[in-house]
Amino acid sequence: MKLSKNRKWSLSLATLFILLCTGGKTSLAYASPTIATVQKMVGTASVLRQGQTISATVGLEIWENDTLRTGSDGSIGVIFNDDTLLSLGPESTLVIDRFLFAPREGKFSIALRMIRGTAAYLSGLIAKLAPDSAHFETPTASIGIRGTKFVVRIEG
Amino acid sequence: MKEWRYVLFASILFGFLTGCGAHRANRNLIVLLPDSDGKSGIITVTTKGGSQIIDRPGYAVEVEDINQPPAAPKPVTEGEITDVFAPALSALPDPVRRVTLFILYFERDSTKLTHKSADLLMEMQRTIKSLNSDEVYLVGHTDLVGTESYNDRLSAKRANYIRDLLISSGIKPNSLFISFYGKARPLVPTRDEVPEPRNRRVEVIIR
Repeated sequence: MKLSKNRKWSLSLATLFILLCTGGKTSLAYASPTIATVQKMVGTASVLRQGQTISATVGLEIWENDTLRTGSDGSIGVIFNDDTLLSLGPESTLVIDRFLFAPREGKFSIALRMIRGTAAYLSGLIAKLAPDSAHFETPTASIGIRGTKFVVRIEG
Repeated sequence: MKEWRYVLFASILFGFLTGCGAHRANRNLIVLLPDSDGKSGIITVTTKGGSQIIDRPGYAVEVEDINQPPAAPKPVTEGEITDVFAPALSALPDPVRRVTLFILYFERDSTKLTHKSADLLMEMQRTIKSLNSDEVYLVGHTDLVGTESYNDRLSAKRANYIRDLLISSGIKPNSLFISFYGKARPLVPTRDEVPEPRNRRVEVIIR
């Protein structure tokens, strides 16, 4: 009995330690500025940020590494800092893996990863300034974008 | 000890479920649409098995399996697009122009603008003034002919030439931000020493 109690303690301590480590790491590594803004919203939609779920509203600021999610009645549309437009239909999930629009440093890059559902995309300035740095990934394919508009559906 | 069995069972179940999810094929449908100005660009759909180019709006590519090449592009009707994508499309924000881009092109090895780009200057100056922008980035580039240091200087000269033009047209010097990258950031990737007119440029980004 005594032994098992000790084990329980060490297990919870280990969990706490891991949580602290990863929590600290993410908040230090990504001093995330705003890269996009929610412009349209219908039904249920949320943003998953560093393990926290934020319910989306028009005007909500989006950060790099955010995950956008919609419910069965939801859709959401955002405008990125380079005027790229992106929207999701119902039951959709998309991760913003990278967004960099830094004219002063001449650095431009966008990488979106779609997990499920439907999306529409209209490219902005990054696709014009650095065509090879605009990426849209799905679970089975990668889409190279040369300044254009397209829609994607992923069936699970 | 009993609890440990539950933990073990739960982790096996979890691994099994997530493992299954990762291996299941996700069917993709990708449709190229016309832009608002009626034109359209090009998208390339690539899997581990190969790739397909869509260059006609209203054409779609289907992907069944990550290891197979995507199917050849096929036309889809507007009705089919609406059936699947209506909610996503109606959530797409209206096109905005919070950032305006002009790309000015130069003659080979010089700070002389091409005729077409020289014709753009007036419009560009008007745009900067009408937006009353205090953030205009001028980013100079060259093609890949010549040494790095030579091209660094050439790209700086190009950006400075545009800066001087804008200042003499009455635009505030403290609203202009210059940077230059020589041959390091071609718009069209080429091999070294290849002349490429589209890489001899100054990007003007107006915010």
